[in-house]
This record gives sequence, structure tokens and C-alpha cells, in this order.
Amino acid sequence: MTHQVFFEDVHAGDEIPQLRKNCSTQQLVQWAAASGDFYQIHYDRDFAQATGLKGLIVHGALKNAFLGQLLHDWIGEGGQIRRFGCSYRGMDEPGQDILCRGVVTKTYTLDGRHYVDLDIWTEKPDGKRTSPGTATVTLPGRA
Amino acid sequence: MPDTETALQITDDMRAQIGVESEPWTYEVTTTSVRMYARGIGSEDPIHYDVDFAKQQGFRSIVAPLGYIGTPVYLPGSNDPTFGFPRRAGGPRLDIPFKGLLDGGTETEYFDVICAGDVLEETSHLADLKLREGARPMLFITNESVYKDKATGKVVVKQRLTSIHM
Repeated sequence: MTHQVFFEDVHAGDEIPQLRKNCSTQQLVQWAAASGDFYQIHYDRDFAQATGLKGLIVHGALKNAFLGQLLHDWIGEGGQIRRFGCSYRGMDEPGQDILCRGVVTKTYTLDGRHYVDLDIWTEKPDGKRTSPGTATVTLPGRA
Repeated sequence: MPDTETALQITDDMRAQIGVESEPWTYEVTTTSVRMYARGIGSEDPIHYDVDFAKQQGFRSIVAPLGYIGTPVYLPGSNDPTFGFPRRAGGPRLDIPFKGLLDGGTETEYFDVICAGDVLEETSHLADLKLREGARPMLFITNESVYKDKATGKVVVKQRLTSIHM
């Protein structure tokens, strides 16, 4: 269970707790089975290289799901995800750290709901952002 | 030297398929599929694994991790054997000469929480086509899907998926 974060405690510029991932090839196969995406570039090195890639790569949609977990873990059971998404601008490889990060860009209340907008992204060890995106969540208020 | 692949153009016939709505397809969310997806992303949150715990938190059953919107019912001959998505009548059909395929992006809007036991009905349409010229031309295809609760008809999720063909 996660500690509950409240709307009043969140401000533009705040960074949310980071989530570090490092995919084994086993995890890529586990996720392939769970998602139904069996594209061979994620588990068959020869196939991947034949398509022009250097080697196996992490599924883009898995990185999107990691960003979902980043948000899920932060908002706690009192929060709700309204929307989130990212584009896949760079490739990540198995065995390499993928750092999932998010920064609050705006907080506002609309129709009694407390909204938080964020920039979210995955990052390689050298700091390059491979999956930049945005999200909107709602958080409970203290009142 | 340019090869035949660079000759790809977005034709009027291709553009005419933008907005053509597919037939609906059923997506199932089960306790097993939710746990498999949670394992796949490496989450250890009991909300994705323990039915009793999830119910104590006020949910119908274990909660689908973000990014998981159920599994399309698989019928041999009707689904893509590699990606699992349905090849149904009514949806857009594009002949794409490019061999390379990459994910371009995912955007998901949630109107409700998805839990094990949910049965969703999905329809989709081609939303956008873009061709990026260059040494290795790339075709960006964006599809939009709407997932409704099959029992109530309520919209649960809207999603835009972009694939890159090169």
C-alpha cells in the first residue's frame, strides 16, 4: 500500500517519486504473453537484427505501462487516473536501467474535483528521455 | 539509392478510410489476465493480485494495471497471430509495403476503473495518416479505439495508438 498524497500538498514543479525498471528478457516475454504482443523484435535477437535494429528492444507499450505504474503508485488508493500517454522517441534495451519520472506542471479544481497535470517520461542512464508524455490525475483533498 | 518502398504515397483511397468505424470486438478482463499483466510490468501491489484485498478497498475485483484494457477474444483466423488484435470486417485496410514496424505512441483516457470480470466491447477507426519523407521514409498510422462496458454500454476507455511503419 502506498502513502496517500493529497491535493493540497502538491504544487507545480514538484517531482513525484521515481520508479526504476530494468527489464530482463524474461520480463519482456512475460509482458508479451500478458499483452498478446508477440512481435519478435522483443525476444528474437536474430529477427530484431534482420529488421535493422542493433538487438532486442523493450516494448514501447511496456514503457507506457511503467509510466502508468509510476502514476498509480503515487496517487494512492484515493486518486484516479484521468488520462496518460507518451510517445516513443528512443529505444531501450533489456538489462539497462529505465528511470520513470514525473513532474507536476499544473494544479486546479474543476467541478469540485482536484486535478493535477504532469509531464512524465522514461529516461536512459545518460539522461536521454525515450518516452516523453503527459498525464492528468485527480487527488483527494484534505477537507 | 531509393528503393521501391520510397514510392509510398498516401492515396485518396487510404485517406478515405480515415474515420471508418470497425465492427465491435469483445475484450475480456479476468483475474488470471490481470495478474499476468501485473507480473509483466513488475508490480507487487496487492490491488492487482488479491481479490479479497481489492474488495476491501471498494473495488469489484482485482484492478487492471494502467495500460491493460483486457485481452481481445482470440479466434483462429480472425486475429493477427503476432499481435492478437482482431482482423474484423468493417475496419480500415491498408496495404503497407514497409517491413519495419515500431510503436509510435499511446494515449489513454480513463472514464472508469477496469477490474477482473469486466467484459468490454471495442470499436476502432483509423484516425490519422502521416508520411515522413527522408532517407528512410516512415508512415505514421494512428488508430482510435473506444472501449465500452458490454453490459451497460458505458464508455470506460478511449485510446489512441500510433504505429510507425518504415
